[in-house]
Amino acid sequence: MAADATQYLLSEGVGLDAALAELSGRFDVASDPSQPTRRTFYDTFDGRLHAAGLALIEEDGRLVAGAGPCYRELATAIRPAAWGERLFAGDLPDGPLRSLIGPIIEVRALVPVARTRGRARAVRVLNGDVKTVVRLVLGAESAVLGGGGDEVRLRARLHVVGVRGYDRALARVRRTLSGELGLEESGVALHDEAVRAGGGIPGGVSTRLDLRLAGDGPALAGAVVAMGEMLRTIELTLPGVVADVDSEFLHDLRVAVRRTRSIQRQLASEFPAEPLGRFRREFRWLGQVTGPARDLDVLVLDLAAMRAQLPEDRARELDPLGDLLHRRRERERRRMVGALESDRTRGLLAGWSEFLGQLGRAGVNGGGDRLLGMVVGERIRRVYRQMSRAGRSIDDGSPAMDLHDLRKQGKELRYLLEIFAGLYPAGAVRPTVRRLKALQETLGRFQDREVQATMLRSLGGELVAADGGPAALLTLGVVLERIEADGGAARAEFAERFAVYSAAGQRRLIRDSFR
Amino acid sequence: MTRIIASYNIKGGVGKTSTAVNLAYLAARGGARTLVWDLDPQGSSSFLFRIKAKVKGGGDKLVTGRSDVGGLIRGTDHDRLDLLPADFSYRRMDLALDATKKPTRRLARVLAGVADEYDYIFLDCPPSISLVSESVFEAAGSLLVPLVPATLSMRTFPQLERVLRDGADAPAVLAFFSMVDGRKRMHREVMEQMGRDHTGLLGTVIPAATDIERMGLHRSPVAEFAPRGRAALAYEALWAEVLGRLNGGGDGRAMR
Repeated sequence: MAADATQYLLSEGVGLDAALAELSGRFDVASDPSQPTRRTFYDTFDGRLHAAGLALIEEDGRLVAGAGPCYRELATAIRPAAWGERLFAGDLPDGPLRSLIGPIIEVRALVPVARTRGRARAVRVLNGDVKTVVRLVLGAESAVLGGGGDEVRLRARLHVVGVRGYDRALARVRRTLSGELGLEESGVALHDEAVRAGGGIPGGVSTRLDLRLAGDGPALAGAVVAMGEMLRTIELTLPGVVADVDSEFLHDLRVAVRRTRSIQRQLASEFPAEPLGRFRREFRWLGQVTGPARDLDVLVLDLAAMRAQLPEDRARELDPLGDLLHRRRERERRRMVGALESDRTRGLLAGWSEFLGQLGRAGVNGGGDRLLGMVVGERIRRVYRQMSRAGRSIDDGSPAMDLHDLRKQGKELRYLLEIFAGLYPAGAVRPTVRRLKALQETLGRFQDREVQATMLRSLGGELVAADGGPAALLTLGVVLERIEADGGAARAEFAERFAVYSAAGQRRLIRDSFR
Repeated sequence: MTRIIASYNIKGGVGKTSTAVNLAYLAARGGARTLVWDLDPQGSSSFLFRIKAKVKGGGDKLVTGRSDVGGLIRGTDHDRLDLLPADFSYRRMDLALDATKKPTRRLARVLAGVADEYDYIFLDCPPSISLVSESVFEAAGSLLVPLVPATLSMRTFPQLERVLRDGADAPAVLAFFSMVDGRKRMHREVMEQMGRDHTGLLGTVIPAATDIERMGLHRSPVAEFAPRGRAALAYEALWAEVLGRLNGGGDGRAMR
């Protein structure tokens, strides 16, 4: 059923009527009157649909998931009546469109990334039986910027869509368009051009690390570049955290803060002690003020997954708990946003940026004499040794805090490995990260379940007073049992995961490769 | 899940092609990926979609699995609506089927190769009771049976019911009155009588309308050239009622 599609850019200044006249002179065509178009394109902040080669378009009350630059239709749905500027997978109508989009965007929200409006005219190329053998769409559209005031006219386009079984007619049309008419084929989708016209980046904003650092360069200069990248992520994600677009903004911001703190700690000897000490205290504060809101985000997401495992009537009994969590999350969020919008945060970020700038400029003029690869390798070996020692001392009777501390060290090591991955052989970094991630997943599940169980228990008093509270409390008991069972299972997995992580082969890999 | 719906009647001239073409058009217009297979060697559906009634290699190669079915399908003038054209050689399809193993499963096997591409497949069947019909009954989940409320026409319905009663996994029968002239007393009487005798008939009635005859002139579904006419409205009502039956659990089977 898939139709072969191509698009061409019309010459600058050529309108729809002139283009139609050109086409009529070369093919037998029938055309419909031109129609107004008004489209909104949705994607996640990090461009997950774009990365999957998809676009989600809202037009005339319909939603269309299209593939490729010509938006080959894959799934459609009627736009729901309640339709906002921020949509999660669950807000999409149940059906093929949600099945296609949901697994790609996961917990991220869809937000408008581009708006266009203009006119389009459908033209059909006909054969001797007056049968449509190629479909054309002439479109002249503008990008609507910001609040909808300004518009930027985009190059007019001609979409050419083949009709199944009429390949020769399609080939003839293409030859004529690119040969006789000299039209330029374009692989850039209309909405990408619209995003660019508004000063944006097609494909969204990635917070993924892709640092190209030189191991034989000064350690301080490398650390400054890496921390500059973290600062960029903090500044990019901060507006999304404040606007509460989706939970990933806060997650990404907190990861960037933790990575910053990790480099500050691990490479402290390369920095001047002051003002580094002050910045370390301030970043610690930033981590603390964003923690409770993130814990509640995780709990809300996990509770949704747990609800899905309960019978429908039991799941409904948890509604008062869901409401309570949302209220608590809102309260914590307000506190967090207050802190993030405070002079203290603004001062911290501006001061940190200034400090990194100074160090960067000093680095260009010489900087320290210790090499980045050597310093980071030393730290990786050291943290690995510390973790191995700490892990070996953990047994079934060890307090939970020992596992939590081990997880913290694991995070420290993981950040070093991820941030400075390019300095060491991929054959050493990849298996180390894989084994560490497996261990961290177990430790993380154990700690998350502990935190969640404690938090849910603390809600009991408030919950029982709520409407439907007693029933919710009973079902909460079932949920708590499951949380504790999962936490227990994670703890039971620990020994096995740690054995893999601290095996002789892995120890050798660390010792020999991170130098 | 692909739904295969056959437009079928033992008798000819009852509106099978109009039913298949108009309902397939409405399905596609509603967003469903739709295919019509014109099984009638007369090629009326193919004609209405302006597509040559010609299949490379003929019906013999097609039903014996020696043709690339996907390569034979043609896009119509309408979004999401494709056609597997008729071929004059389909007049010998009975013989071609008879020469195969498990002949009644052949049409379903032909469609299996392209079923994933479509939400609905409509079979526009020739008027007969034959090996082709048996193969249609195996492939289709539902049979749309247009009934002209006239004595001779109505005689064939009990015959069809008998044939289907013998089948182990027969398709659901969705019968409705077609080509109805409300001014004719006989039409009214036959419809009343049938309504009493057969409680499962669809309620929508397709009128004997000039617009349906004009489909041949326009070579197009009625909704394209007379969207507000009573024929177009009747087909819309019929499709809505069929969808209700299909979605209400009345459908026979998915693609096998």
